[in-house]
Amino acid sequence: MNEHEIEDVLDGRRVDRKGFVAGTAAAVAALGLGRFGAADALAASGAEAGELFYYNWADYVNPKTYPAFTNATGIKVKKDFYVSNEAMLAKLKGGARGYDLIVPTGYMVSILSQEKLLQPIQWSKLPTVKRNINSKFRHLPFDRNDRFSVPKDWGTTGFMYRTDLVKERPKTWREFVNLTKGKYSGKVTVLDGIPELIGSMLVMLGYSYNTDNPSQLDKAKQELIALKPHLRAITSTEYKQQLIAGKIVMALGWNGDGLAVAAKKPAAYVIPQEGAEFWVDSYAIPVGAKNPEAAHKWIDFVYAARNNAVETSYTYYGSPLKPALLRGVLAKSILNNPAVFPSSAVLAKLQANQVTARGTALRNRIWTEFKNA
Amino acid sequence: MSGGGGRPGRGGPRYPAWLALPALGWYAAFFLAPLGFIAAYSFAELSGFVGIDFSWNLDNYRYLWEPVYRDIFVRTLGLASFGTAATLLVGFPFAYWLARYSRRRTLLLLLVIVPFWTSFLIRTYAWLIILDPSFPVFRAFHIDLLYTTSAIYIGVVYNYLPLMVLPLYAALERIDWALVEAAQDLGDSPLRAFRRVTLPLALPGVVAGSLLVFIPLTGEYLIPAILGGNKTAYTGTLIAQQFSEAHDWPLGSAIAMVVIASMTVVLVAFSRIAAHGEAAHG
Repeated sequence: MNEHEIEDVLDGRRVDRKGFVAGTAAAVAALGLGRFGAADALAASGAEAGELFYYNWADYVNPKTYPAFTNATGIKVKKDFYVSNEAMLAKLKGGARGYDLIVPTGYMVSILSQEKLLQPIQWSKLPTVKRNINSKFRHLPFDRNDRFSVPKDWGTTGFMYRTDLVKERPKTWREFVNLTKGKYSGKVTVLDGIPELIGSMLVMLGYSYNTDNPSQLDKAKQELIALKPHLRAITSTEYKQQLIAGKIVMALGWNGDGLAVAAKKPAAYVIPQEGAEFWVDSYAIPVGAKNPEAAHKWIDFVYAARNNAVETSYTYYGSPLKPALLRGVLAKSILNNPAVFPSSAVLAKLQANQVTARGTALRNRIWTEFKNA
Repeated sequence: MSGGGGRPGRGGPRYPAWLALPALGWYAAFFLAPLGFIAAYSFAELSGFVGIDFSWNLDNYRYLWEPVYRDIFVRTLGLASFGTAATLLVGFPFAYWLARYSRRRTLLLLLVIVPFWTSFLIRTYAWLIILDPSFPVFRAFHIDLLYTTSAIYIGVVYNYLPLMVLPLYAALERIDWALVEAAQDLGDSPLRAFRRVTLPLALPGVVAGSLLVFIPLTGEYLIPAILGGNKTAYTGTLIAQQFSEAHDWPLGSAIAMVVIASMTVVLVAFSRIAAHGEAAHG
């Protein structure tokens, strides 16, 4: 993809992978086992290198990366998880301090920086990043001067389905909606995300993902209210397992989750023909970080091609590294997968979340009516 | 609040007022002050994504007259009323039997309390497994309740039952059953004796249990989110949405204020009923 496409498209959003149960379990593990493991690592390295307090989406890091990082740097990792950008913002805005590293989506990077909740990235401490980053991922619209963020990965918000349980081959949002209202009623979930769900309906109707136009938003609302009785659940965190278990057959969600399902069962992820959301999640360091040094070390560590391949082959999200660097280390099945790395023609149809404050307020009202329907 | 000072209770001992100070301080710091904040926020205005402008703006309350919010309040009232009635219907016979007839009270009471040893969240998640259509009982009858209103109601009765049973038991356990026998000896039918003697004496327990179930249910958030598939709006989920997703603290605060005001009305009504009961039989 070229710079213009990224510029057009950028400021994306995504949310959590596996979810609340996994998140809770991981948090429990982090409290108990994690502490034990970290103590071991510290004893082994014999040096007190401090601790990294990483506040992230659940299941968004390859579990192998933590010990690898601790082995390389002596820094142990303490974890906490959030289920949405909004929940993370609420916590930081509410005064939570001590996190060293967070992963906001583009639009949230701008909100956090406006709210003075981020501290500047020190690029002099990121030699590997400077060497390996794809230049297209520098100076992105949500952080023009790369002051507060370093891209982690990127992806799309589309839909996925079990190819063995759904006979049809839906390619558009309209087909997804019609199948949900028809044959597969009660066997479909959608994301519990306000901009994602409303935005997808807007795109289906041929409007901008980011529109503020009340009559366009009203049409999207009507679509959602008509869809509501046919949904099994509204969840950003449980659809992956439910698809694998066959309890649902289709879901509106993120590409990485779609590919994780496809790794276990016959399934396909679709970027609908009408278009979809494109998002970039970035590393950022919040104010009040106790160990920004460790945060820089983590970012630089995962930007090494080999380490980055370990991450990408777990999360199935697009990497911001130079493509040439990935060729040797990342499996071809991922590298050539259009759901991870879409073609330019497809990318041209994507839009990033750039919803205004006014648009956000209107969407919130729609969401309440949708939940009430 | 019943802090109060040396009230010369009808010939009883004078209460040393300072005993109430710790509680008074606690409530002032952690209840009254936050309540003041919520009140102030409810009149504020949202600016930009997360900014708050404090003013005296009534828009947040005006929004709440829209039909969608009325629907949500009514639905919440329905849930809280159902939960209270159902736990009372299930809990009263059990508490009655426990207090009057059971020989294994301590053990059974312990069993009522045991669920509290596990987190509310985990217990609610456990119901996902039970309500799953592949769970043997449901699979046999092809019943799929998961993520429905029925699932929410089942979760509510399960989670709130102990809160009803314990105060009911406490009230019933103090009853001198000789009074009931006396009523029957003097010609009352068992049913009439129950209605005229047992029930009035148990009334404080009924009131306490109902309040313990009804009030938290009006803010119930987890059960609809987990067992209801996050599909249905109640005031609890609506407030959570304003604070954790929409960042509309002013609107969230206004909804909270309306809930608090409604609860105050309910509380006064209940305590009148209780006072009546006590006055009639005290």
